[in-house]
Amino acid sequence: MGWAGFLLRRFAGTAAVVLLLSVGVFLLLYLAPGSIQQTLLGTRPATAETIAAIQARHHLNDPVALQYLRWFGDVLRGDLGTSIRTGMPVSDMLGQRLPLTLALVGYGTLLAALAGIPLGVLGALRRGRVTDRLVVTAGVVGLSAPPFAVGLLLLVVFALWLGWFPVYGTGQGAGDQLWHLTLPAAALALGAVGLLIRFGRAALVREMEQDYVVFARARGLSGPLVLGYAMRNSLVPILTAAGLVVTGMLAGTVLVEVTFALPGLGSLLVDSVTFKDVPVVQALALLLTVLISGVNLLVDIGYSIIDPRVRLGRSVS
Amino acid sequence: MSRRVPVGVSVSLAVLAAVAVAAAFAPWLVPGATAQDLMTGISGPGPGHPLGTDDLGRDVLQLLVAGARTAVPGALAVAAGSMLIGNLIGLAAGYFGGWVDTLAMRWADLMFSLPALLVAIVVAGVLGGGYGPAIGVLVVLFAPTDTRVVRGAVLEQRHRPYIEAALLKNLSSWRIMTRHIWPNIASVALASAFLNFAYALVSLSSLSFLGLGVPAGSPDWGRTLADNRTQLLANPWAVVAPGLAIIATAAALNIVGDWLHERVDRRGRTR
Amino acid sequence: MLRVDDLTVRQPATGRTLLSGVSFEVAPGESVAIVGESGSGKSLTVRALLGLLPGGLESHGQVVIDGQRVDDDPRARRRQRGGTVSLLMQDPFTLLNPLRKAGRQIADGLPSGADPKAEVPRLLAEVGLPAEVAERYPFQLSGGMRQRVGLAAALAAAPRVLVADEPTTALDATTQREVLALIRRVQRERDMTFLLITHDLRLAFSMCDRIMVMYAGRVMEVGRAAELREEQHHPYTRALLAAEPPADRRLAVIPSVPGSVPAHDAVADRCGFADRCAHAVAACRVGVPELRSIGAAGVPEARPLDGGRLSACVRAEELPVAPAPPLGVAATPRGAAEPILDIRDLRKTYPGASRPALAGVSLSVAPGEIVAVVGESGSGKTTLARCVTGLERPDSGTVLLDGGDCSDYTRMTRQAVRRARRTAQMIFQDPYSTLNPARTVGATLKEALAADGRPPDVGALLDLVGLDPALAALRPANLSGGERQRVAIARAVAGEPRLLVCDEPVSALDVSVQAQVLTLLAGLRERLSMGMLFITHDLAVVRQLADRLYVLRAGECLESGPVQRVLDAPDHPYTRKLLDSVPDGSSAWPGQSSE
Repeated sequence: MGWAGFLLRRFAGTAAVVLLLSVGVFLLLYLAPGSIQQTLLGTRPATAETIAAIQARHHLNDPVALQYLRWFGDVLRGDLGTSIRTGMPVSDMLGQRLPLTLALVGYGTLLAALAGIPLGVLGALRRGRVTDRLVVTAGVVGLSAPPFAVGLLLLVVFALWLGWFPVYGTGQGAGDQLWHLTLPAAALALGAVGLLIRFGRAALVREMEQDYVVFARARGLSGPLVLGYAMRNSLVPILTAAGLVVTGMLAGTVLVEVTFALPGLGSLLVDSVTFKDVPVVQALALLLTVLISGVNLLVDIGYSIIDPRVRLGRSVS
Repeated sequence: MSRRVPVGVSVSLAVLAAVAVAAAFAPWLVPGATAQDLMTGISGPGPGHPLGTDDLGRDVLQLLVAGARTAVPGALAVAAGSMLIGNLIGLAAGYFGGWVDTLAMRWADLMFSLPALLVAIVVAGVLGGGYGPAIGVLVVLFAPTDTRVVRGAVLEQRHRPYIEAALLKNLSSWRIMTRHIWPNIASVALASAFLNFAYALVSLSSLSFLGLGVPAGSPDWGRTLADNRTQLLANPWAVVAPGLAIIATAAALNIVGDWLHERVDRRGRTR
Repeated sequence: MLRVDDLTVRQPATGRTLLSGVSFEVAPGESVAIVGESGSGKSLTVRALLGLLPGGLESHGQVVIDGQRVDDDPRARRRQRGGTVSLLMQDPFTLLNPLRKAGRQIADGLPSGADPKAEVPRLLAEVGLPAEVAERYPFQLSGGMRQRVGLAAALAAAPRVLVADEPTTALDATTQREVLALIRRVQRERDMTFLLITHDLRLAFSMCDRIMVMYAGRVMEVGRAAELREEQHHPYTRALLAAEPPADRRLAVIPSVPGSVPAHDAVADRCGFADRCAHAVAACRVGVPELRSIGAAGVPEARPLDGGRLSACVRAEELPVAPAPPLGVAATPRGAAEPILDIRDLRKTYPGASRPALAGVSLSVAPGEIVAVVGESGSGKTTLARCVTGLERPDSGTVLLDGGDCSDYTRMTRQAVRRARRTAQMIFQDPYSTLNPARTVGATLKEALAADGRPPDVGALLDLVGLDPALAALRPANLSGGERQRVAIARAVAGEPRLLVCDEPVSALDVSVQAQVLTLLAGLRERLSMGMLFITHDLAVVRQLADRLYVLRAGECLESGPVQRVLDAPDHPYTRKLLDSVPDGSSAWPGQSSE
């Protein structure tokens, strides 16, 4: 199995998942009670003409399959439709809000990696001692804490009582924005830190007990080199965790943005869902699907880079 | 086999017991928890109100106790439901292998690529109806976790001689799965259910926080927290207390689940 | 070169002591074997010596390596690893870092300043591997090649002491012999001090100058290999030697030792072997016998630890002279009858495999006959057993059980399947997973009896396999390996099947227990007049038990016939090679390394 074939298969798999989920996304909202019609009508009187006009404009009388194909064709051409709530093109709305969410997720991932991986390694190396128990407990608490609760606790402690960080807002200029994003990113990162500690520590503990590590020590290899052996082998579960981290962050960003009143994709989703702004919800769901599938694809490719057995096949000569 | 229970686990079990008591007996413990007192309004801790009152003048401590009754049963239903589905599918997938396994695993992979909370938000919000459908969605989306765990554990047992010996005794597949395999993987399945329980608790309170879960005015932890977050200055406890309650309960569930899992690991090693 | 004084290994969390009072010395250039069954503490002794005990264990006692006391000095230990002492471990499949190329793993151990480009090929050549192996990942190498890479890596820093912990136990017999020959050649060429851990007393005689026998965490006997082979001063050593059956003749009775190896703590106040010993007297149970010097004629000798004969038996001097090795007997010939199992041209290829597991094997078993199928890993012998019982489906060929076609269990009627299941039963290799850990012995056997349509008399069934009926209330975790294997046999014979398929039933058991199980199987064959298809890699076991044998290699049958004829005068060179791979205890074995 060559590299090209491997990549091609993975890509095809990802595309199939995205396609399948796009059908799901479309159907779900198509089946929504209260119907788009009702929402579009708003406070206007439900006369036969207005209903007919709305139905004609949004092709609501066509067969489902046709409606889906029209919608998906438009999506492929970059036309995500028009928001019912604001009347703006959906793609513009997403474009405005995407940078903030990406910055938040990126910042959060960075914080999570910087804290989670070293803590996981520390716990594994100090296994069974007080340091390890503290790390494990911190990890479990991080894993258990919903981002909105963490966010509010951080606000109370660091913004309200200590006054180190601003309470709300996004700030002006790069440095100030980063400053404003720190508490939200930390709230977002905490769960990921817990995940990385759990997976990373468990994997490293398991690897450190393997024969090849004992053998490496027995033949006099230096400490860092032995740790390197074990770390390399524990990368596979850590990579799995990394995939979960990013998906978890995309979900968590909804809560964090609402908590800190940040105008990102997450708060847009909540607003649109509450308002039953179907075109926006559809577009957001599709965007998230693509993002998550993309991350999973990267994780899959990562496995094959780390482990030659995936790349070269398992055959024993 | 009386091994000492670690301190963290004892504390967690105590937390869970307290939450369970609150959830079971809230109507008798704090009958007036939801009674509003708009004259008082929001206020900090004071006499008669150890944690102060919220913006509707309700006692925060009483709300906390009453909130357990709203927060726990839904999460429990999610954990139990996904455990049932996940165990059945996982057993079948691991035991029969072949196309049953392929199908089950493709399904699990698909479910895994969906962020459960976001789907629940969309479903609860767009379909309306709030809590009920959300619990249904979470059951379906959490079941793959159990499925994978159970299938993995079954695969580990599947080709052990004791299973093959049972096959050679002409026992039925159902009997082998339920009487021979499941008792040996029960603790793994239970540990996974505990983790799901914790995650369901967090997810459902997140929905409530976004206003998509329980109806307004219900004494739910996520809801209380959301209702008072604009009043941080007036009474931070109205936000901090329910937040800590969610974190403590979920952490306790996770710790107990991990402990169960570790005990299994250890038993596996001392053969 | 090495000195260990009063070594103790404990597990503080449970308060258990795993070994105690272990002392020995190894002179420069000397080769010493530590021999013992599982639970003897032999591996823990060397792990403690090297400061590499598994987590949760701690050791006490003085350890001196190369004139330096290291037990209280972890840094000195770390300095000594690689250059002074190096360790070769048991399992070639877990020994190497799976994600790193073989050459780089060897290079990692080179002393600083050495040139990997020159040294790695040189080391590979020394262990008989071509230079291009350096570019391979471990998963691309066979077990024997991995163990050679392991040896090259262990030698990289030019150690003066090589410790090998069961270095060939996980390998096939023929590979084992090659690797052992290689290790001995390298050890002599480099003039290394050598410490070998093994469970095989004969292998130790062939490989080492001196032997130390351990049992239940204590040293039982020490002596020169040549002397110990001739005369043993501890009943345990004798029993161990006797229980390992010979491959060159059939014994009328396989000498077995009752009971099983106890835990160290269970025998903390007496001789560890007393409860299983035929010579035990009251004095054996009133304290731990001291390890003391014994002269050549049984007279106490005043020499220190090194070189002398030591025994921990209180009756070492008065032990009767060891009986002469029993003579061989001829196997009773079995009359030919309608076969209970008839296999014709059986073929099976696993999906994705490059060659067939079975490439047309034909075989038959008569009622009451024991037929052995011998082969190394990859020979297809286990696949054959599994096809017979329907655990695998053959691609083609027929399996006739008692005249009924059982080639494909999925196409048989319910009644036919039930009949087949009652005709043929199976026992498996691993005693630890052969019983359901969640069920009591009684529940397991009751279910088996019900499935075979027999009355639920669990007590009688346990009695049949020589177990106390009180065991019915226990779970497998509370049984020893031998007891578990007996319960598994009881489960299989509950319905008095006419054929018992045995897949390596004794290879995971300690030698002293192995003999008990073989005796039980031979007895059951007589009492139930049950035919057996006996899968094994061990020619000595075949010699003791079987009437006929088939030799399999790579899915093909190379040779078959009555055991005595085939093992005394093999036709096929491969059969001869297998016979030569059985350690005979002489110093000529394992012979010259072929490279």
